[in-house]
Amino acid sequence: MGIKAIYQEHYRLILGSASVLGLILVWELMLTFLIPLNPFFFTKPSLIAVAFKEQVIYGALWGDLAVSSKAFLWGFSFAVLLGIPLGAFMGWRRRAGYTLDPFFTALYASPLVALAPLIIVVFGVGLLAKSVLVFALSVFPFIFNTFAGVRSTDPLLINVVRSFGGGEKDLYFKVIFPTTLPYIIAGARIALGRGLVGIIVGEFYAASEGIGFAISRFGDTYRLPEMFAGIFVLMIAAVVLTEGMRKLEAVLAPWRTTEESR
Amino acid sequence: MNRLANFYSEKEAHILGAGFILLLIVLWELIPHLLTVSKGMSLFFTTPLRVIEAGYQLIVENKIQEHFYASAIEFLLGLGLAIIVGLPLGLIMGRSRLLDAMIDPFVTVFNATPRLIFLPLFILWFGIGMWSKIMIVFVGAVFPLLINTYEGVKNVDRVLVNVVRSFGANEWQTMKIVVLPNSVPYIVAGLRLAIGRAVLGVVVGEFFGASKGLGFMIATAATNYKVDVVFVGVAIFMGLSLILTMAVKKIESNLARWRPEEAKTF
Repeated sequence: MGIKAIYQEHYRLILGSASVLGLILVWELMLTFLIPLNPFFFTKPSLIAVAFKEQVIYGALWGDLAVSSKAFLWGFSFAVLLGIPLGAFMGWRRRAGYTLDPFFTALYASPLVALAPLIIVVFGVGLLAKSVLVFALSVFPFIFNTFAGVRSTDPLLINVVRSFGGGEKDLYFKVIFPTTLPYIIAGARIALGRGLVGIIVGEFYAASEGIGFAISRFGDTYRLPEMFAGIFVLMIAAVVLTEGMRKLEAVLAPWRTTEESR
Repeated sequence: MNRLANFYSEKEAHILGAGFILLLIVLWELIPHLLTVSKGMSLFFTTPLRVIEAGYQLIVENKIQEHFYASAIEFLLGLGLAIIVGLPLGLIMGRSRLLDAMIDPFVTVFNATPRLIFLPLFILWFGIGMWSKIMIVFVGAVFPLLINTYEGVKNVDRVLVNVVRSFGANEWQTMKIVVLPNSVPYIVAGLRLAIGRAVLGVVVGEFFGASKGLGFMIATAATNYKVDVVFVGVAIFMGLSLILTMAVKKIESNLARWRPEEAKTF
């Protein structure tokens, strides 16, 4: 296989990594040779790498990451546990859907983050307030995607199961759950992004630990390399989680390749 | 009686939906009359009527206007900037294989990351004035616009593009005649998502290191236990985002009747 053929096959990967590497190189060289570096204003990749290594080895950032993850997991788990049954109920009972849909839509469309200061004042600085914030932001994608999934269930399939003597349990496990699952996973990906917003806002606003707090503290103290290291850690975590969810979606629902952009 | 029943069955969805929201508001108002709110809790408690009264007071005393204008300008400038940058970039990425492959890693990474994380950096770079907020609104709103424009361009019918090309159209004309009109539904959908992100950026941006804006008003009111003022701010944000998203949604459904229904996204 010639070089050209290899390039043709992997051109996205090659060009993509080339542009990322190129940008890092230009960034480094520009600030080393062309523009005098003002450490209170900007930093460069080599300094960030040093800060990153220090943070990872001495583990300060791991602790912050663990604190943030804990709040995230609590809020997200409650969103799953409450959102999915609620959405299924709304989809399965027509009148329940009519009743709850406008109310939840209003909450989903509005920036609930605006309540963050109040949530923090009420629940105090720490795990509880952050978890509540994550929950409030990430519950709605679960509700609405489960709702849409259950409603999209083919009535024909339901009738078939009923005709062959299937009970309520068979309906749920053989028809409704498989139809709804891809919707739920898609919802989980959206909820993930919103949940991360909750964590970050909670920790920016009032916290004593956590990755968002670390980043804003480094910013306040003009430690730019450390701040960038923190931002990159969060970026890596966000990409791994989102792409993982996307992979899961592709495995569980290979037919749903159309994407609404997020 | 029959007519009433008919009316009900026709409008059941609206009646139940609106009725539930009204019921919740009335119940909220009645809570202090039904149970005694403890002294500690009453600090954090308010009722809809008190919120309306506080809102009225703020307007009469000319206290809220300044915050409102500040937020509106940040929102409009940030979103405008996002449109100016996002649309052309999305079009170019959709039409050029090379640039698509080169820019895609950045778009994927930044889109997955909550862009609010850049707020401390922007405050450092642009100061605590209006520009750090405009920039945070911009980075929030630009990616949904860019990605949806890109998707729209990618989904343009190849046959149509080839027809126009065969008749001798150049890239610019192809763009104008086929690509752009066909991407409009996607772009509008992107705009709806972008509005949500922009509002988020305004709110959170004003929480930190700001001296005016509705987000600032909410944050200071919360620390001073003025819960009714908090809810005034929240209600304004809620109302505006609802009106804006519904308006764009309306345009969207007019533009793309043939597209299948998706789960709601904001």
